[in-house]
Amino acid sequence: MRNVILCVGFAAFIALGDVAAFETRATRLQAITTVGVVSALGDEMSVTRAGLTPLNTPGQSVSIRSWGLDELVVQQATALLNGRFRVQPVSYPRDAFAAIGESAVTPVNLIRGDPFKALVRTDVSPKGLDAYVVISRAKSKLGTGRNVQGIGFMEYRTLLASYGLIHTLYEVRLIDGKTFDVIEKRAASPLGNIEIMRLQGPSQLVDAAFDGPAAIETLRAAIVDLITRSLPLTLGDMHLANTQ
Amino acid sequence: MKYFDEAAPRRASRAQQNLLTASLTALGIVVAGLEPAAAQTAFTLPAPPFDLPVLPSPSGSWTATVGIGGEYRPDFQGSKNWMLIPIPIFSIRRAGSTAQFRGPRDSGGIALIDFGNLRVGPAAKFVAARNSKDHSELRGLGDVKAAFELGGFAEYYAVDWLRLRGELRQGIGGHQGAVADVSADFIVPLIDRLTISAGPRFTWKSTKAVAPYFGVDAVHSLASGLPVFEAKGSAYSVGLGGQVSYRINPQWQVRAYVEYEKLLGDAADSPLVKLRGSSNQTTVGLGASYSFDFKVR
Repeated sequence: MRNVILCVGFAAFIALGDVAAFETRATRLQAITTVGVVSALGDEMSVTRAGLTPLNTPGQSVSIRSWGLDELVVQQATALLNGRFRVQPVSYPRDAFAAIGESAVTPVNLIRGDPFKALVRTDVSPKGLDAYVVISRAKSKLGTGRNVQGIGFMEYRTLLASYGLIHTLYEVRLIDGKTFDVIEKRAASPLGNIEIMRLQGPSQLVDAAFDGPAAIETLRAAIVDLITRSLPLTLGDMHLANTQ
Repeated sequence: MKYFDEAAPRRASRAQQNLLTASLTALGIVVAGLEPAAAQTAFTLPAPPFDLPVLPSPSGSWTATVGIGGEYRPDFQGSKNWMLIPIPIFSIRRAGSTAQFRGPRDSGGIALIDFGNLRVGPAAKFVAARNSKDHSELRGLGDVKAAFELGGFAEYYAVDWLRLRGELRQGIGGHQGAVADVSADFIVPLIDRLTISAGPRFTWKSTKAVAPYFGVDAVHSLASGLPVFEAKGSAYSVGLGGQVSYRINPQWQVRAYVEYEKLLGDAADSPLVKLRGSSNQTTVGLGASYSFDFKVR
């Protein structure tokens, strides 16, 4: 009988302790008032050929710094977050944030921790905000040995046809401004389940409208559209913006 | 942006393929029309009352897949009779997570090292028990307990359409031998929704992995009427496999596969196989699955 009481008491202790711990994320979110937004996704667009490709088909990338996508992301995120937080402008070395990549060896990522924490701690100013929202490139698999990341255009070649796909793959981190812990990290989800070819983030099949002299501008507009439609959903999923 | 420069000549070369492409696409549209595609999430679950501190928050979009398949395969290793086994299909993953190409004979595994074209990680396979009372051909032979084979895999994509894979596993339980599988798969997408793949397979097994299934000792020889046979490890089998995967619409997918295996070495020479079974082993599988998205607030 004594053992049973001890067991029940121990279980209750664990349960109560867990409930206290479970509230951590929500509690930390409620305590946030001031927020800074960092965006580092939009300086380069990858051009990938996948599917039935010749041997040695290297990936390419082109500079799209002039498109000003990061400024757009900061502007849109600020507008969305302003309903709940007081967003303050921050300065940061965008290239340093964009250069961060995950190790291919999964245990290394687990051991070394999130590299964005250190960068926010040292390179973002002003210090002292309650939290920082960091938006950076994310990666997606194609299922056959090829990864794509960030903003890009992919041509998927099959035996009988070729398909164009644009993607805007990004993830959002909410980093505590005092401890620099990652409170939450979320990759942007696909926009609906209507495509046969899906990536792990916002993407869209493109057609002949992307041929011709106005292709670049049309492409930029499509990328902007993906960002505009996905950012409210992602921030909403993280309970950072009231968009539901 | 070379794509835009090259688009025009490629369009011309594609013209001859248009008829077949159009036919396949039309087939997809017709079948898709039978089941209206759910463009958005099927349902939304409320936010969980609390979060686990060490785990990512479950809020967001998820994809669930449910389905049923069947596999028609030999009763046991070396059998000439087949049996039908139902295989449930179920998975839940973050929305948009793409399924990695998978061969029917692949063991389950997790890539701990993932360079995209090179993946390495642990692998595990379950080998069902063989009970002599279940099959008349095994009468008089001993039972073999179920075995777990634990080890690792490495797969390399030389290009998107060629996967080379190797596995090395150690048996625990029913057999304590080593098993090595090597395979190649040529993966050819015909259109975006239809992919075929095929390639050769080779398996090597050590003595301890072969003997429990193909060896006949003196006691079992007396009980079964089969001659005494000492099965040793060697090249176990060569084979060919192929599969077809067709995505009817974003929700429905069907998949079929055939794996042929020719037993070699002492596995093929075993009296169990020579007198009561067959060294030709064929497995046929078919499955259909339905995927839908749901959201957790």
